[in-house]
Amino acid sequence: MPDYSAGNNAMKNSVMKNFIGSRAMPDLVYHSPKEMKDLLALVDAHGTSARVVAGCTDFIPSVRTGRWCFDQELNLIDISKMPVLNEIEKTDDVLKIGAGVSLTRILESPEVKAHCPVLAQAVEQMASLQVRNTATMGGNICMASPAADTVPPLLVSEAWVVIRDAGGEHKVLLTDFFTGPGRSVLTRGQVLTHICIPVKKSNEAAWFQKIGTRTAVIISVVSAAVRVSVNNGICETARISLGSVAPTPVRVSEAEQFLAGKPLDDQVIAECARMAAHAISPISDLRSSKEYRKDVAQTLVKRSILACREALK
Amino acid sequence: MKMPLTFMLNNQQTTLEVDARQTLLEVLRNQGGMTSVHRSCEEGECGACTVLLNEEPVNACLVLAASVQGATVMTSEGLVKNGKPHPLMKAFTDELGIQCGFCTPGMLMNAYALINRAGDNLLTDQVIRKTLEGNLCRCTGYVNIIKSVHTAQKAKLAGEWW
Amino acid sequence: MKKREERLILGKGQYADDLEFFNMAHLVFVGSPHAHARIVSINIEKALALPGVMRVITGKEVAAHTRPLPVQANFTSKGWTWRLADVYAIPADKVRWHGEPVAAVVAEDEETARKAADLVEVAYEVLPLAGDLRTALAPEAPKVYDDWEDNKQVHLVFDFGDPDKAFAMADQVLQVFNREDRVTGVPIEPRGCVGMYDTKNDTLEMWGSFQTPFLSRHNIAATLGMPEAKVKINAVDIGGAFGLKIHAWKENVVALASKLTGRPVKWMEPHRDFMATGPHQRDVFWDGKIAFKNDGTLLGLKATVYHDLGVESTNKGIAALSIFPACSSPTNMYKWVGMHVEGIGTVTNKSFYCAYRGYGKDKGIKFIEAAINQVAKKLNTTPEAIRMKNFIQPDEFPYHQINNYVLDSGDYPALLNKAIEMADLEGFRKRKKELAGQGRYLGIGLVTAIEPAGVAVPNCQMGGITEARVLITPDGSVEVHSDRTEIGQGAEISHATIVADILGMDMAHIHVKRVTSDFIGQGPLSSRGAVYPASAVAKAAKLLRKKVVQCAGSLMKIPADQVVLEKGYIYPTDAPEKKISYAQFADKMFFFPGPRGLDPEILKAHDHLLDVTTTWYSPTTPESGSSYTSFCVSADIAVVKVDIDTGVTQIVKYVHVHDAGTIINAQVVDGQIQGGIVQGIGEALYEGLNYDENGQLMNTSFSNYLIPTAVEAPDIEIAHLETPSPFSETGSKGMGEAPIIGAKAVILDAIEDALSDFGIRVNDAPATPEKVRKWIRQATKKNR
Ligand SMILES: Cc1cc2nc3c(=O)[nH]c(=O)nc-3n(C[C@H](O)[C@H](O)[C@H](O)COP(=O)(O)OP(=O)(O)OC[C@H]3O[C@@H](n4cnc5c(N)ncnc54)[C@H](O)[C@@H]3O)c2cc1C
Ligand code: FES
Ligand code: FES
Repeated sequence: MPDYSAGNNAMKNSVMKNFIGSRAMPDLVYHSPKEMKDLLALVDAHGTSARVVAGCTDFIPSVRTGRWCFDQELNLIDISKMPVLNEIEKTDDVLKIGAGVSLTRILESPEVKAHCPVLAQAVEQMASLQVRNTATMGGNICMASPAADTVPPLLVSEAWVVIRDAGGEHKVLLTDFFTGPGRSVLTRGQVLTHICIPVKKSNEAAWFQKIGTRTAVIISVVSAAVRVSVNNGICETARISLGSVAPTPVRVSEAEQFLAGKPLDDQVIAECARMAAHAISPISDLRSSKEYRKDVAQTLVKRSILACREALK
Repeated sequence: MKMPLTFMLNNQQTTLEVDARQTLLEVLRNQGGMTSVHRSCEEGECGACTVLLNEEPVNACLVLAASVQGATVMTSEGLVKNGKPHPLMKAFTDELGIQCGFCTPGMLMNAYALINRAGDNLLTDQVIRKTLEGNLCRCTGYVNIIKSVHTAQKAKLAGEWW
Repeated sequence: MKKREERLILGKGQYADDLEFFNMAHLVFVGSPHAHARIVSINIEKALALPGVMRVITGKEVAAHTRPLPVQANFTSKGWTWRLADVYAIPADKVRWHGEPVAAVVAEDEETARKAADLVEVAYEVLPLAGDLRTALAPEAPKVYDDWEDNKQVHLVFDFGDPDKAFAMADQVLQVFNREDRVTGVPIEPRGCVGMYDTKNDTLEMWGSFQTPFLSRHNIAATLGMPEAKVKINAVDIGGAFGLKIHAWKENVVALASKLTGRPVKWMEPHRDFMATGPHQRDVFWDGKIAFKNDGTLLGLKATVYHDLGVESTNKGIAALSIFPACSSPTNMYKWVGMHVEGIGTVTNKSFYCAYRGYGKDKGIKFIEAAINQVAKKLNTTPEAIRMKNFIQPDEFPYHQINNYVLDSGDYPALLNKAIEMADLEGFRKRKKELAGQGRYLGIGLVTAIEPAGVAVPNCQMGGITEARVLITPDGSVEVHSDRTEIGQGAEISHATIVADILGMDMAHIHVKRVTSDFIGQGPLSSRGAVYPASAVAKAAKLLRKKVVQCAGSLMKIPADQVVLEKGYIYPTDAPEKKISYAQFADKMFFFPGPRGLDPEILKAHDHLLDVTTTWYSPTTPESGSSYTSFCVSADIAVVKVDIDTGVTQIVKYVHVHDAGTIINAQVVDGQIQGGIVQGIGEALYEGLNYDENGQLMNTSFSNYLIPTAVEAPDIEIAHLETPSPFSETGSKGMGEAPIIGAKAVILDAIEDALSDFGIRVNDAPATPEKVRKWIRQATKKNR
């Protein structure tokens, strides 16, 4: 007989929600503001019943599964049609992407390809064409999922987000944005309006890789992004980020510091990858065990640095 | 909240009375009579509900109907002209890219947009496979679907297309 | 001519979700969040208070208005352990699996019903779990059915041939374990139906995704306590089934809801419900010893296969029944001296078990194929050599296998040789060696499989007999009726092709009717389609042809053997210019010049009625007890690449050679093969249903129950051999299941081959990246 994992921890007679295959949508009022001031006014006017959405690709499944329940009528504020939030602009050394821009537009944007190709690389591996056509990066960030694939590339690119509320505009570094799974510094009445990314320099390379149980349309078991700058064969700075290995996507600074100032030879890279894996303490869940996550994180970091080295040749 | 919704549905200006909590999938099926838009997962995972929104494929189950005000929506019914199957449809029939037919309308819409985007560039298997990754099919193993898309593109390049 | 396909492509399909009736109400099920719990109380007040809610049906009401679900298979008489449970469609006392319905809400519209479903308040007392096989079989285990002695539902013991002799003759014996995770077939369309109870006539009619209307009628009528004659079940367009839409059970509640409300009631299942409360399969563990000689001759097997059946609840024996073929099928396509196989089925707090492409016969074959490849390794020979040595030879058919199967026909060596040639086996083996030094891991898998098709098992609903009707209507077109529902497997086109060929007619004039419960038969399950219904239809068409020829001869004043039927016309052999169309012929027969134009003998024999209803039953089953009639075979060779640092497998090449006897429609057959293979690949690499320690099903959606997308599915190279079956009416062998069997086994075998340096046994499907990586790490540690 095999070792079937036995488990008999009967749950307490807790009040659990009924199992319902697909739940009803809440009653809602739909708003589609065009101007920033209208948006802010709506957010302000509707207080706790207001909800900002963009592509709804997370909102609707969350309702259907019962992850989110609303007992009152919801004022849904759709920002995806706001011209001001639908632009990809490049100023001197910053790429500024509106929160309403779809993932497909990011993927196809020549600016993104030129100035932050690692982001395009991640987006290409996200979801499906249909989802990418409506989903936004703002939504991907605001969901604050540890598995959000746009986040590791943004973290290694040292991106920040712009948040608007009645009090004005705030800039928050993405490293400071997430506070836990599904949680961020964003509070009621606040809207994420833009994502700003410092552009890639000529002596830099960045790479993204993810692993899932299947290749296509898959939530990452682990994702990794690496960005290095190199001078005369020596790594100047290194940024390494991992997704799905902690309550939020993380940077692994020990490994980053280790790499800085060293030549990118096989041995250094292997050691750096080992350190990155050592630094994380992932959990086991439906998608993967913690052991596999640590194990494969090491491989992904190693391969990503190698790919950067290759790109810089 | 009930509201009137006006949009282009399969090339016809259409106004329907909808509720703000309805998805495009529900509205197309229930009020719009477009039953080729199939409903399965309702969570964006299967692609059976794929329609074109402003010419790009989306999962109708993940789009709020209210948000398509003024937009253009096309379902596979819109491919039919004077009761005649579109060359893309004919390709799926000829190559048997259809078995149970449940995934088919969604496949058609995604493939239609793909072939239109491709212009004169011949599609590779790899591009077709990657593009259709969000349309699950449990019957065909995809082989004949890929074939159908190739055949359809040839028809387009031969000038049979609308 | 693809009438059905064209109709569907044009968006004119009518699937369950498309059904609309005047004044129709909607039903939504409320499921239990617990896997095992006593229902303390149910409060439906809040749900009922919601405007638009008509009724909330609970288990108590179901018990008051219906009977327990009827038994479908019962083998207690054999002296085996075989337990059945007395249950209702919705339980009143306790729930036994996560998602099990505790109530059904009926409302004016679906959204309201869904909303109300959230408002039904159920108080539970959570019970300890029998969450898996080991826990369920442990002494003092919590019991799934309180009145059973323990959780063991079935224990079957089979002796085929002379197992002891086989082991006495053996030079070597090898122990082999194999494990397959729990999976589900998940067609993209879930289940759904509309029930309409006519209170004036006390009749019930239902429309929906019924794979086997005749069986469903029995089930639903028995539950509602109605005469079957007053119930009619209609299959509409079905969005895939693969066995998962055989089982009517929630449908019974829909019928009851219609009866109680006097309204047509529609139920369209959300896909998550389909996964959590739909049929599951596999979830087996094999522990066996295979006996063989040093020269590679296979001799015997002694094995036990443990099944985690989940709840028995709604099955009434039909799940346990799949243990029969699981135990019989290891004989596959080889000669044996003897086998002793035991099958144990245990109930646990998981969703129920039912058919999914394979229905048990897949299990024995996958196991024996893995075992034989182990023997080849042990003997330092190739997988093809050991098969060639043990194959039943072309001149030995019909071959009476030790398990009573009567194998109909085939050329197994030719089949395998063809696959070897197509796959460039030697080339890839060389390539594997070349890459080995470079840290790249290529693996080649090889398996061969039979597909026992056309099931007929006495003592249960799958008794076999099938009815078909073929008639010519007064306008000269043809109607075909049978039990073979179209589930996307090409039933319509196959039937039409058969009838068109026999009657010399154009397919455009053949109308294959939607299947209803009016025709007896078990529908397209266990690859019966091309065997039973197709044979019955062919037989009816042949009898009808006889009538046509006789009548036409009489009308044309020529002997019957000089009547030609071709391309829709009827004419004398020597005078094609005198041809009349079928329409003209039918017109003469029905309206003019009246029967007086015909030979009185024809009238006396009633042969002028151009309508034949007939039955078909296997010619081999009655004498041999063979539960199958035809045996399609296949050889699969797959080449994979394994990334040993991540555990990710990629398929490089896939070759499948198939012999399904006479091919009626090559495109349909290829489509079945391609679809089956990709399902098998899904099972080999990704698919697994996992319950957590609280008995909660973790995979209830396509985001975590991963089936292959177009990206993972490989190109598939197919070739056919055609050795007609002497036992079916058309020479066809049932098919559609072999590909899923071979594909799963061959991918696992290929991965094992890729990892041969590590000495890893790949015997636990699915071989997910994580699992492969775990094996590699364990092996590396051990080897160090
Ligand atoms: C089939 C499928 C596959 C997927 N695959 C992947 C994958 O591979 N990788 C991955 O990372 N993700 C994946 N996702 C998740 C998907 O990327 C996210 O759903 C998407 O990026 C969210 O964007 P959205 O605009 O649709 O968000 P919405 O659903 O509109 O919003 C999501 C959340 O963010 C809030 N929000 C959105 N925008 C703002 C804003 N500007 N300001 C404040 N709050 C805001 C909303 O209130 C809501 O809580 C997948 C989803 C689906 C359905
Ligand atoms: S129903 Fe919309 S993607 Fe499945
Ligand atoms: S044809 Fe059945 S799901 Fe694609």
